[in-house]
Amino acid sequence: MKLLYKEWALAAHPSLYIFTFMGCLVMVPAYPYTVIFMFGCLSPYITFTYARETNDAWYTATLPVTKRDMVGAKCLLLMSAQIGQLLISIPFVVLRSAIGIAPNPVGMDPTLAWYGAGLTIYAAFNLIFLTNYYRTGYKAGRAFILAMVPVMLLMAAGEACTHIPAFSFLDDNHPEQLLRQLPLLAAGLLLYGGSMAAAFSISAKRFEKVDL
Amino acid sequence: MKAILSVQGLGKMYPGFQLEDVSFTLQPGRIMGLIGKNGAGKSTTLKALLNMVQPDSGTVTMFGARMNENERDIKEKVGVVFGGIDFYPLKRLSTITAITRRFYQAWDQRRYEEYLKRFELDEHKLFKNLSSGMKVKYLLALALSHQAELLILDEPTSGLDPVSRDELLQIFSRIVKAGRRSILFSTHITSDLDRCADDITYIQRGRVRLSADKANFLEAFNGLQRPQDQGRLTLEDIMLRSEREGMDEAAL
Repeated sequence: MKLLYKEWALAAHPSLYIFTFMGCLVMVPAYPYTVIFMFGCLSPYITFTYARETNDAWYTATLPVTKRDMVGAKCLLLMSAQIGQLLISIPFVVLRSAIGIAPNPVGMDPTLAWYGAGLTIYAAFNLIFLTNYYRTGYKAGRAFILAMVPVMLLMAAGEACTHIPAFSFLDDNHPEQLLRQLPLLAAGLLLYGGSMAAAFSISAKRFEKVDL
Repeated sequence: MKAILSVQGLGKMYPGFQLEDVSFTLQPGRIMGLIGKNGAGKSTTLKALLNMVQPDSGTVTMFGARMNENERDIKEKVGVVFGGIDFYPLKRLSTITAITRRFYQAWDQRRYEEYLKRFELDEHKLFKNLSSGMKVKYLLALALSHQAELLILDEPTSGLDPVSRDELLQIFSRIVKAGRRSILFSTHITSDLDRCADDITYIQRGRVRLSADKANFLEAFNGLQRPQDQGRLTLEDIMLRSEREGMDEAAL
């Protein structure tokens, strides 16, 4: 937890704080809400680039921690920002429903399936971004471009499936439809947890071989 | 007496450069100067001690424990200063300290505040707004406030004016005076070591040419004396003549 605190206080770029609060964008009428997940992928890239420019890895390596701990801290930083963003969106989804904002005409509504899609997108991004970044410990741009390929495909697939009649229940906020979406949320959670565990394990092994 | 630091057979292969069989020992209460020209392997050696570079061979033992197996515990007792590297340039010193102190059980806030006063450091300043000398002093204040028993300093005096360098050298001498703490200090400014070092380790083209206490070290290079020399050779003379010797060999 000391390292996670250090990440937020010293290593995180200000955009990480701002983009984490982008969960509130679900209040904006007629907005493609899957874009919110793109912010959740963009902010880690900016933060890793910022950390490189501020010699974060050098400084952290002088503290009583191992390289494995350093990777673990970055994984926790990403998880806290992304899960935090999704949690922040929840009260706004409730408020949106309470004040009767009309269903989203330009894309997916913030349903349970939308949360499941977000977790799946983050799972793909983190696994590819982290494992590629920790091959070198500094090439954030390459890792980001590689990780954004599945992110864009998943975003497109998520938005597209709401236009297919068989999947239209994914875009429906009625309680019986939300119940049908629950397995997708559970799958997203499982994928996210599994992806983070794999990303940490692979990245830590790779970073141990990296020379700072 | 138990050595504070023992390095045995450290090796690291890079394309075009090889650190080979680096071995030396540092006793408590001593200042060891690690000398060598740019690119000789000084910084690589220091980084390998801290696991920042993964060595291909060799062992590093600090305070009687192997670094690989006890990294967290060992680093609690080690202070590190890298000259010329800016950490978190846009953060205030107070912010960096507030985070750093959480990592050390032996952190002594009163001592930290004393060092701030002694070094005339303003905690409200941004790291980037400190001069090179003040940056080194700030990092030293952090290292000394967690009561580090071994200070590893990489080129701490490079780029400093003579007054700041003199001040730092006096601080180093005071740190080791009680005989409990030691300093391993890499530099290519050998005149600093003429003044404060007890031991010298000379790295030449990735290998330890000699590691000995200063008197024995100077003695060992007596063979480089020339008839026109007045007095003993300085560390700078030894380095210059040894490196030229190497260049002549390469030319042949």
